[in-house]
Amino acid sequence: MTIITLSHGTAIILFCIGLYTIISKRNLFKTVIGLSLMESSVLLLIVAAGFVQGGRPPILPIEGIAVNPLPHAFTLTAIVIGASDLALALAFVIKLHQRYKTVDLDKIRGLRG
Amino acid sequence: MISLLTVLIPLTWAFLIPLIHIFRKTWLKRAILLFGIAVFFVTISAAISGWKQSALSFLGGWPAELGIVLIVDKLSAAFLFLSAIGGGAAFLASYGRLKEGPWRYYVIFFLLQASMNGVLITGDIFNLYVFYEVFSLAAYLLVAFTISWQAIEAGLKYLVLGTIGAFFILLGIAYIFMATGSLNMAVLSLVLPHIPNEALTVIAASLLIGLFIKIGAFPVHFWLPDAHSSAQTAVSALLSGVVVKVSIYTLLRLSLLLFLETKPAVFTVITVVGTLSVLGGHLMALRQEDIKRLLAYSTVAQIGYVLIGVGTGMAAGISAAFFHAINHMFMKVGLFIAAGHIAEDMKTRNIYDLRGLYHHRRWFVIVFSLLTAAIVGIHPLGGFMSKWYLMLAATKAGNVIPALALAFGTVISAFYYMRVLSFFYSSGDPPPRQTYPYWNLAIAGACALCCVFLGIVPLVPSLWKLVSDIGLNAVDTAEYISTMLSK
Repeated sequence: MTIITLSHGTAIILFCIGLYTIISKRNLFKTVIGLSLMESSVLLLIVAAGFVQGGRPPILPIEGIAVNPLPHAFTLTAIVIGASDLALALAFVIKLHQRYKTVDLDKIRGLRG
Repeated sequence: MISLLTVLIPLTWAFLIPLIHIFRKTWLKRAILLFGIAVFFVTISAAISGWKQSALSFLGGWPAELGIVLIVDKLSAAFLFLSAIGGGAAFLASYGRLKEGPWRYYVIFFLLQASMNGVLITGDIFNLYVFYEVFSLAAYLLVAFTISWQAIEAGLKYLVLGTIGAFFILLGIAYIFMATGSLNMAVLSLVLPHIPNEALTVIAASLLIGLFIKIGAFPVHFWLPDAHSSAQTAVSALLSGVVVKVSIYTLLRLSLLLFLETKPAVFTVITVVGTLSVLGGHLMALRQEDIKRLLAYSTVAQIGYVLIGVGTGMAAGISAAFFHAINHMFMKVGLFIAAGHIAEDMKTRNIYDLRGLYHHRRWFVIVFSLLTAAIVGIHPLGGFMSKWYLMLAATKAGNVIPALALAFGTVISAFYYMRVLSFFYSSGDPPPRQTYPYWNLAIAGACALCCVFLGIVPLVPSLWKLVSDIGLNAVDTAEYISTMLSK
């Protein structure tokens, strides 16, 4: 089960790195990268949940034990959602860059309070 | 069947509008109005279908353990009713203002309605996440729709925080799936008590952090005032009135089904966050000079009231929370539409520049005053009644400090709303121009009348029974589970 423990650990570390990136960095592109990291980490966790020791690909005809295909379906759905979130975020960043000529969050502070 | 249509019909409209725009441009004006009315009636009829007895729809004929179930029970029905009315009012306001011009706006609007209804009726936790994200994406787009720099900035802020919240919710769902291998909410409610306590704590923490960010509760509220104040008038009304309530429904449903017996600490956390929201939201609103930001901070505080009701974890508290949610929906939709119109008409949102409004916009100010009286909680109006029941429920559950915070918050809100009204009624310069906003005035006035009517509801036993049944039904998780697993 070591590979599973390893991937769970990786997922959690990635999640924390993503969150830290969003909180600490002032560059909007880095914020988007942080979001992407958080997404990948959760997806890694879900995919790892379908792991079966010695399992085969879940394609008919199945000989022996197959891995759980359900998490793969979830992951695909979640990837689509995450991709649309990130695309929209990048579109907003580009619009902001057109106006302010910068992606530094400290110089883009129109809304306050 | 009808529950599936509440999702499918708005989705179809969102797909059809671009086609109509391409092929039959002249039909667009009538078609959009017709579509809006159709969505309203379908949502209402789905709410009615689930009221007497839970209405289930098994997608693809699979039983609940394997497939996705759509279920309308009393709690869902109540929130569907709220979403239909709030969405309808926002639709009318945007139609009156924009006509059929920006057809893309209506595509996003119907997408939002479809996914909100989906969140309200789904019985599968991953399906809930998918609908939740579709509706969040539509909300980000609606906030940024005007493409002014404030709107883009507010939209980006909303998107980043909303997406962080979404990933926390997804993390919670991933842990749930790893711990139980199931995603149906009724099945989860049965198997979650058997998993280790530490795992349950992690699941509860992930879900709560995500949902609090999405709701805009106090410590993580900073996207809400920007998003709600930078959007167009009708969108602000929709966000404050309905979108936030759908998030509260999610919190209510998940906390009741998954954590009511296994982890009572969840409800303590909800109460604490609610109390903080009440105090923080009101104190921040006190400092605002921008009328739409003031209303947005007031929304943070009103969410706190609803959370205090949810945090009691008792039937009375949940009924009161729903009653406050529907009251707040009417009050905030009316206030945002009135304030948004005033701001557009006078070309300023600063309350110091709105002096003497009463002498030039008499009816607007009268409607605004009535709604303000309702939200502060003047006696015969709806706001008083819901706060009264919230205080009763909180004290009964032993949460004395939240009940006191509720009363204290009301005093602060009276102070800052009085300040706005005192500017309106003082004498000042005449406004630059006059438009005749019958449409907005009618919607805001109708909301004000509904507030007066909701003040009567608790006095009529047969009407109050409808509200108190919602709470009784919501805490009766055994019935929800048995209906869902009946097939």
